[in-house]
Amino acid sequence: MIHIKNFSYEPGEHEAETASSSYLMSLIAIIVGLPLPIVNLIATLIFYLGNRKSTYFVRWHCTQALLSQLSMLFINSFGFWWTVSIIFTEETITSKYIAYIITVIIFNLTEFIATIYTAIQTRKGIHVEWWFYGSLTNLICKSKS
Amino acid sequence: MKKTIIQGIITFLIFFGTWFALTQIDWVKVFKVQQVTDKTEQKLGELFWEVFKKTEKESQNPLVINSVDSIVTVICKTNKIDREKIKIHILNKDDINAFALPNGHLVVYSGLILNSDNQEELTGVICHEIAHIELNHMMKKLVKEIGLSALISMTTGNGGGEVIKETAKTLSSSAFDRSLEKEADIKAVDYLVKAKVNPESFANFLYKLSDKEHEATKYLTWISTHPDSKERAEYIIEYSKGKLTEYKPILTNKTWDNLKEELKE
Repeated sequence: MIHIKNFSYEPGEHEAETASSSYLMSLIAIIVGLPLPIVNLIATLIFYLGNRKSTYFVRWHCTQALLSQLSMLFINSFGFWWTVSIIFTEETITSKYIAYIITVIIFNLTEFIATIYTAIQTRKGIHVEWWFYGSLTNLICKSKS
Repeated sequence: MKKTIIQGIITFLIFFGTWFALTQIDWVKVFKVQQVTDKTEQKLGELFWEVFKKTEKESQNPLVINSVDSIVTVICKTNKIDREKIKIHILNKDDINAFALPNGHLVVYSGLILNSDNQEELTGVICHEIAHIELNHMMKKLVKEIGLSALISMTTGNGGGEVIKETAKTLSSSAFDRSLEKEADIKAVDYLVKAKVNPESFANFLYKLSDKEHEATKYLTWISTHPDSKERAEYIIEYSKGKLTEYKPILTNKTWDNLKEELKE
């Protein structure tokens, strides 16, 4: 699921730190905004916008962090509103709902672990590409040179 | 590009695959969700019934009780409904009304029996209320109108008597959503057909009561809580077309006549 690859160049100390922070950003935001699925996306988005003009390595990892948060947003929002509708409308708890919530927890946990791991690796200057998100980022984020 | 799309589709499939696989497990049972809901419903049923028991007079006449009981038993038997679940109460009141409370309490006013021209009409209304019970409409309505938290606090004793009284009133004198009513009507026709009772009588009853000239208009609680009777009568007729044509009465004609005599007194 996670591949360590050689980046086109060796990132510097400062670059590694900023790239690593982009992942940490989403982790901190998860703690703050746990009940609302949108907070971590906003945090990553702000970080992404702030580093848009940064070096390739930093941009690349900000994009990967943002993309992964974006897809989690859809999954989590759906679960969030489903829960709200159960509490406030005539919707009842079904096995389908519980199964969905468990799936969401599994996916969030996987993403959480992957994020921690990637944050540590990028801090060391190691380039980590995720399954699907890595290749998607490669399509979006291009080297300027 | 191609690789990304394939990976994206696989991720997508893994997500829905996991969801689908997990759906195969009966989580509601695993987490005992049903038990909690059932307990709440049981308690609510008791609370609401208490309210009516205190304010109205319950009929003790064995003929009346046994007759209605026979009707309900036949419907339950022919439709594989748990008879134990339905608790019938007959109240001596002139209003033409019948309603269901949570946990299978079925309340029938003597006015309804008196104003039914034949037993099929009464059976039709009873089937309609049993359908509400079987489809769990009371709990849906209660949750929608006063919220689950209020319901649970009622059962734990923090709700206060007034709230319970008010809610009980709502249950006996206001309608469900039109869609729920229709669902119950259709289900009632199914019950009637299986019990070999002509569903047309049920439609006739609605027609009759929708007629404003009818002498019993002032007591028409059931019809005022169940609007659009004509429309309902029409779709009941439409739905029951082509169903079974061989009918047989549940009570003997003699019993039915005796029952009405008994109630008139």
